[in-house]
Amino acid sequence: MKGIALGQYYPSGSVLHRLDPRMKVIIAVLYIVTTFLAKNVTAFALLLVSMLLLIAVSRIPLRIVLSGIKPVLMIMLFTMVINLFFVGGERLLFEWKFIRIYVEGLYQAAFMAIRIVVLIVGTSMLLTYTTTPIMLTDALERLLAPLRVLHVPVHEFAMMMTIALRFIPTLMEETEKIMAAQKARGADFTSGSLVSRAKALIPILIPLFVSAFRRADDLATAMECRCYHGGKGRTRMTVLHFHLGDFVALTVFVALGAGLILANRYGFGFSM
Amino acid sequence: MSKITLENVSYVYGEGTPFEMHALRDVSFSIRENAVTGLIGHTGSGKSTLVQLFNGLTRPMAGRVLLDGADIWEKPKQIKQIRFRVGLVMQYPEYQLFEETVRADIAFGPKNMGLPADEIEARVREAAELVGLDEALLDHSPFDLSGGEKRRVAIAGIIAMRPEVLVLDEPAAGLDPRGRDRILTQVREYQRRSGATVVIVSHSMEDMARFCDDIVVLARGELVMQGKTDEVFAHADRLAQVGLNIPEISRVCAMLRARGIPMDEGIFTVDAAARCLERLLGATDGEGASTR
Repeated sequence: MKGIALGQYYPSGSVLHRLDPRMKVIIAVLYIVTTFLAKNVTAFALLLVSMLLLIAVSRIPLRIVLSGIKPVLMIMLFTMVINLFFVGGERLLFEWKFIRIYVEGLYQAAFMAIRIVVLIVGTSMLLTYTTTPIMLTDALERLLAPLRVLHVPVHEFAMMMTIALRFIPTLMEETEKIMAAQKARGADFTSGSLVSRAKALIPILIPLFVSAFRRADDLATAMECRCYHGGKGRTRMTVLHFHLGDFVALTVFVALGAGLILANRYGFGFSM
Repeated sequence: MSKITLENVSYVYGEGTPFEMHALRDVSFSIRENAVTGLIGHTGSGKSTLVQLFNGLTRPMAGRVLLDGADIWEKPKQIKQIRFRVGLVMQYPEYQLFEETVRADIAFGPKNMGLPADEIEARVREAAELVGLDEALLDHSPFDLSGGEKRRVAIAGIIAMRPEVLVLDEPAAGLDPRGRDRILTQVREYQRRSGATVVIVSHSMEDMARFCDDIVVLARGELVMQGKTDEVFAHADRLAQVGLNIPEISRVCAMLRARGIPMDEGIFTVDAAARCLERLLGATDGEGASTR
């Protein structure tokens, strides 16, 4: 529970942590697009190397990175199996009764797996592991600011998201406390039929709702006391500035994209 | 003699992450039966982690917790029985109320024990009376009560289980002086009537001095001192080292002593100080009369 409460942010003080969050969002979008550009073996190899470099630069222990992939492992295996068995081709590799595996299918399955891993690891290295959620919403607010022209309440959305994120750990902690308190009175959440287990949640949910409403009310009052009136004319305590490093990072990733396009054209190996 | 014994207990939060924190390090001590033991320490000293070990809400990562000499984790499946024997009132317990009536809320614990309805009713009445809740309040919603009343309902909910050990984590936090006196007096009264063992967590030295027989002092997850209340408060310097003070009145007495007024050693309550002063004043009055 404690782990979730803190989110995935992993403070290792790397170069990636210091990049401007806006630039990281832009680069992450760029990187996602890049993963879909790759078409042949050379390009996928390049992609894989870029991901490994990203992990190395982020200085996040491999153990943590691997645990991040775990949730998508099933999806990955499923797509691999589907690709392996159902992609047709010319070069037959293996045949047994109705099962036919082609070389093309093998490549396709490997490509898919690499693409999923790179997508997950790439975005988490750039965003979730190296950027605090608050910085992330801040960056999104700034990047989406032009939408204000279309009367989209960007600031309000960002504020709502910030507040929601801010209260996730608080509510988690609260849930833990209430659960402990009810367990101390002999409540049992782990045994019994489905109905009795659902009923066992009542002693947790009611106090949790009561406290969530109380907190919301307190927060609204506290914000009003400090004259909060929405985004209009609001200045910021921390003003983000792009630094040289941010542009260097952008250049590196644009170069990677260009490299992939070149690899697609001049590289070798099976091409999808 | 000792009701609960901790043997070399350690507890770590977030082991193996950058947020790793040692809440308790190799802590050993025991809690005397039929007595009120005070657990003091600064914020973050590990008090709240410790109380959750007493009733098996958390399992120590190393070491053992003994209740009447038996390891409470011997049969992990029966840990629920331990929780009925060691009643824990958590911090701000009023936030755990959830039933429609005060009566039903106090009955939640006894109901989980599987007691018959008439026994539950009797226990609810007894517990409500002990914490000074009016009978008329039993059919009200707990959410309509005042803060102090809610707190008493929550404590009654634990007392209704008739635990052998009653553990209270900051039972007086956030209450006005009258409210805190009332709750602590009632706890003392419960101890006297039932012969249970009571553990109170607090950082108010005044409360501890007035209501506790024994004191256990924690700092940064380690045991600093343990002993009878007067023995512990006699080590003012050691307490000061870990950021704790002796009660205000003891400091006043020490200052008076420094100015040559022969106040007794070991005064921790205003009442005791008043008695001592009265005696001293009486003595000087007598002297005055004889010289005249």
